[in-house]
Amino acid sequence: MSDTPTLQINGTTIDATFAEAFPMKATRLVITAHTPAWAMQAAHSLTGFATSVIGCGCEAGVERTLENEETPDGRPGVAVLLFAVSSKELARQIERRVGQCVLTCPTTAVYRGIDPQTSRAPLSDLAPLGKNLRFFGDGWQISKMLGDTRYWRVPVMDGEFVCEETAPTVKAVGGGNLILLARDMDAALAAAEAAVAAMRRLPNVILPFPGGVVRSGSKVGSKYQGASASTNDAFCPTLTGLSPRSELGADVGCVLEIVIDGLTEADVGAAMTAGILAAAGRGHAGGLLRISAGNYGGKLGPYHFHLHELAAGLGGSSA
Amino acid sequence: MSVVTTLRVKTAPGFRVDASALLPAPLAARAVAEIERMVLPAGNDRCVIADLFDVARSGDPAPDAQGAEPALVIEDAVPWLDRLGAHMTQGHLIVRGTAGDQSGFQMAGGVLRIDGDAGHFTACEMRGGRLTVAGHCGDFAAGALAGDMEGMTGGTLTIHGNAGARLADRMRRGLVLVGGDAGDFAASRLVAGTVGIAGRVGAHYAYGMRRGTLLLAQRPTYLPPTFADGGRGFDVFWSLLVRSLAGEIAPFSQWRAAALPHRYAGDAAVDGRGEILVVGEPGRQR
Repeated sequence: MSDTPTLQINGTTIDATFAEAFPMKATRLVITAHTPAWAMQAAHSLTGFATSVIGCGCEAGVERTLENEETPDGRPGVAVLLFAVSSKELARQIERRVGQCVLTCPTTAVYRGIDPQTSRAPLSDLAPLGKNLRFFGDGWQISKMLGDTRYWRVPVMDGEFVCEETAPTVKAVGGGNLILLARDMDAALAAAEAAVAAMRRLPNVILPFPGGVVRSGSKVGSKYQGASASTNDAFCPTLTGLSPRSELGADVGCVLEIVIDGLTEADVGAAMTAGILAAAGRGHAGGLLRISAGNYGGKLGPYHFHLHELAAGLGGSSA
Repeated sequence: MSVVTTLRVKTAPGFRVDASALLPAPLAARAVAEIERMVLPAGNDRCVIADLFDVARSGDPAPDAQGAEPALVIEDAVPWLDRLGAHMTQGHLIVRGTAGDQSGFQMAGGVLRIDGDAGHFTACEMRGGRLTVAGHCGDFAAGALAGDMEGMTGGTLTIHGNAGARLADRMRRGLVLVGGDAGDFAASRLVAGTVGIAGRVGAHYAYGMRRGTLLLAQRPTYLPPTFADGGRGFDVFWSLLVRSLAGEIAPFSQWRAAALPHRYAGDAAVDGRGEILVVGEPGRQR
């Protein structure tokens, strides 16, 4: 813990530290279907097993549901965001996931969700969407240009799978995080769930872990060769008194982390602020003792989200 | 403030004149006196613009011009003026009357509006932009020149009146909408793209159609024998198509996604994957 004065909101201490985030490549896809339920089925399938780039290839999640009038084809839809460490990997993940999870899902269609004209995130390149998936049509597929947009119509057993040829990608930000230190498991879960609910109301961000929460926060490296990441022993309550890096006091019984990926630095910052506000709303009385964040000394990631700056104006008191 | 150059017909020549040099942007960069000295090809002869037109220049945006794009307005009918807007890439070209042949030939951008009729080969091999003909149009609109492999490959051609024969022959990409009737061989040898005809179609329509979409607002008197009745489950595409036509002329702009047209696929004679969508003959309701 830092020696600098700490900030408290509702008795919850906000550590004088920062979350360290990294550049990523990202895109938004809009999935539509005959019913909202089938659109969400495809979205959940596409964003499944996409919690961390360490082992999943990408980080993905549902951004929000879309009303009929918000989608290109006038059907109910879901916006999903995908993040990867490179354009090449992002393109590979899009192709695999759309091919296996959206093309296969009844009644669905998929479109680009990034508008190059209005995107606040810097544009990167175009990732193939239907460009390669069309070959599933075995020669029966039809290309269709409507305005400046090329669509592919691939015959499938329920009609046609319609998708756009490409999807624009942007330079995004991944790895924003909040670490919630609570008195016990119930308090940690309640604070994390409140924070997740608040953050998911914001656009342009996803929380890629199960339910938006990760209990296996990691540090870079390991004592074992070949392991790029290992458990964050500084925040493991069973290692207080054992790990020399432990940052936990005797009153901390459970720690949970929320990881945030966003299209821009401002989006990640806004989500972290919303998360701090919601979690700290439960306060010390609700069992949330501290809010901290993970970083690597500031030397690896160019984006630093200082908690005290994010929490400024949230009604805290300096101690 | 955009520059508007106006050409008013002084004397109609007794021969045809190639107007491909009369483009909004290049003319906007020239002084009036310089424009008047420009020479236009006329078959094996040549003629000077000052002999044909009174040239005027205005700094005010023309009422028809949009944005700050340079505009060229040709007053009066010019049926002897061919290749208007050929190779045009930007700006607004407005003809307040009838135009000659090959208007919009290989046009790649900008807006060309012909308030009267247009001759043959209008929008021939057009690549982009928007060409609107308020009256009727001759043969081979949106088609290819003899010997060329591809007709129109981009942009939008709107004909409020009737179109002649061979409409969109060998067309590969883009949108053609006809508010009236179309002559024989409409959408023949269509490679791709979308052709919409509000009125009647002549004989041999969709002949040799490879791919693409032919939209018919009225049920034709006969269907080509090499087209198969069929094709279900194109609801999503139809919805996208209808939405893309919302800003175009009636009746295309009035179509609704909920009313599926009847679909015919072909031309089987050429192993085609094209489709005729007959909107006046409803398919199954969604």
